Amino acid sequence: MSIIEINKLTKHYGRARGIENVSLNVEQGEIFGFIGPNGAGKSTTIRTLLGLIRPTSGIATIFGKSCIEHPEVRMELGYLPSEVFYYDNMRVIDLLKYSASFYKKDCSGRIKELAEIMDLDLKKKIDDLSFGNKKKVGIVQGLLHEPRLIILDEPTSGLDPLMQQKFFDLIAQENQKGATVFFSSHILGEVQKMCSRVAFIKEGKIIKLEKMSTLQENSYKKFNIETKSAIDKSAFDIGGISKLEVKGNVANFIFKGNINAMMKKIAGLELRNISIEEPDLEEIFMHYYTKED
Amino acid sequence: MNIYLHEIRSLRKTAVIWTCAMVALAAMFLSIYPSMVSEADEFKKLLGAYPPTVRAMLGINLDYITSILGFYSMIFSFIMLCGAVQAMNLGVSILSKESRERTADFLLVKPVSRSKIVSAKLLAALTIIFATNVIFNVASFLIANIVKTADYDGKLFLMVNLTLLFVQLIFLAVGVVASVFFRKLKSVLPISLGVVFGLYMLGALIAVGENDDWARFISPFRYFDITYIIKNAAYETQYLVMGAAVVAVSVVASYIIYNRKDIHAVS
Repeated sequence: MSIIEINKLTKHYGRARGIENVSLNVEQGEIFGFIGPNGAGKSTTIRTLLGLIRPTSGIATIFGKSCIEHPEVRMELGYLPSEVFYYDNMRVIDLLKYSASFYKKDCSGRIKELAEIMDLDLKKKIDDLSFGNKKKVGIVQGLLHEPRLIILDEPTSGLDPLMQQKFFDLIAQENQKGATVFFSSHILGEVQKMCSRVAFIKEGKIIKLEKMSTLQENSYKKFNIETKSAIDKSAFDIGGISKLEVKGNVANFIFKGNINAMMKKIAGLELRNISIEEPDLEEIFMHYYTKED
Repeated sequence: MNIYLHEIRSLRKTAVIWTCAMVALAAMFLSIYPSMVSEADEFKKLLGAYPPTVRAMLGINLDYITSILGFYSMIFSFIMLCGAVQAMNLGVSILSKESRERTADFLLVKPVSRSKIVSAKLLAALTIIFATNVIFNVASFLIANIVKTADYDGKLFLMVNLTLLFVQLIFLAVGVVASVFFRKLKSVLPISLGVVFGLYMLGALIAVGENDDWARFISPFRYFDITYIIKNAAYETQYLVMGAAVVAVSVVASYIIYNRKDIHAVS
């Protein structure tokens, strides 16, 4: 059974676009990345999954059940929203205790542990915390009941790099203990480091769902060629090439396909210089985006 | 239970302030009763000079005005107004504050159903209203006993005071149902003051009018005619039923709408 199952999920806001036919599964124990620019529909998807928003059509379930019909499945869910707001006049510890009271187990030990890792002062009033510290409260709040599913919506905004590292370590630990992680972001670097699979969303639609290993497989190469004579653009008019840029006798492109075919092609050119690199996720990502345009 | 306790904790401070204000209002008005009784004839003459419409609007009944119950019923409309604002504020804010203070993302992803959240919050609001009424009843009864010049019917006094509870329950329910219609309610006071004062003025106008029994259904302030209660030691059943119906419909509608509501991201 998939931990998260989203099937043909559609949400319209009146006439405005929300998400359209989003489908994806997240399996037990994986870290799943959900990538897209701001406004692509990441939060809408997540909020529908959590039961905050009712879908126009389609199904979104966690542990096989819809959060709207079975709110109790959220017992094993930890959620960290992109922007955290809590009851201002409470102290951090009181808020965390209030949060823990929903899960019917003793979380006080875990609260202390997490607060120590995140370097969070439990006695302060929430009102007096900086944005970054509020975010830490959010992290502790989302993890204190040791949930089996962790959903993170743009989790790192507002955290300094040191805290980000601690946070990612924490998430990796939870994952090792068996938690499944669903992680939305518009920053590819952080997803690249952690996720086993990734889905790209753009303008409300999933445009690609792939294993991270497939994405980084050798089949994707970034070529940078410099020749003695001017390059004819049509020479590279073959399948698998994208982001082709030709300027005089310099050509840049990303190639996906049989590397031998490309090497034969290049062998016919009088080269001055060549570099072949592993493209980073950002470039692969942009590759999908431009292709769709 | 945890939501209920959390709500009570966050509501108690304002509840104490409202209760104190209402008791103070009652104490202030009742404190002038002894001096009024001592010059009862002058006072009646003075009020008798007012046009009947003005007297009707202020709820003044010349036959009863010098008895403590009659006097109390005259000032009671102000206390009721105060109580209505308290209840309406409570009703409008109790559910909408999660969106306004942007804590909905916290509460509504907890493993509890929306209905349970509504129930806990309604229960907390009811507790506050009941506590307010108990304290107000005791306090006003004590004050009345201090200022009274003759014995009066304690049961009637209680019946008059109970109308405060009824009116508060109506405004609480109306407030809740009004709030769930808004996607995000920026502030509570304009809507609660607007509705309460609007209905109060309407109630006053209805009182002046031809005493049309149908018109009285419009404003909850006219559901309980205190002169009638003192005369008959009973409430008017049709308005009592109407009040109950308003409460029931509002509460049911609130549950249904809140359950179906989309909770949008903060922006």
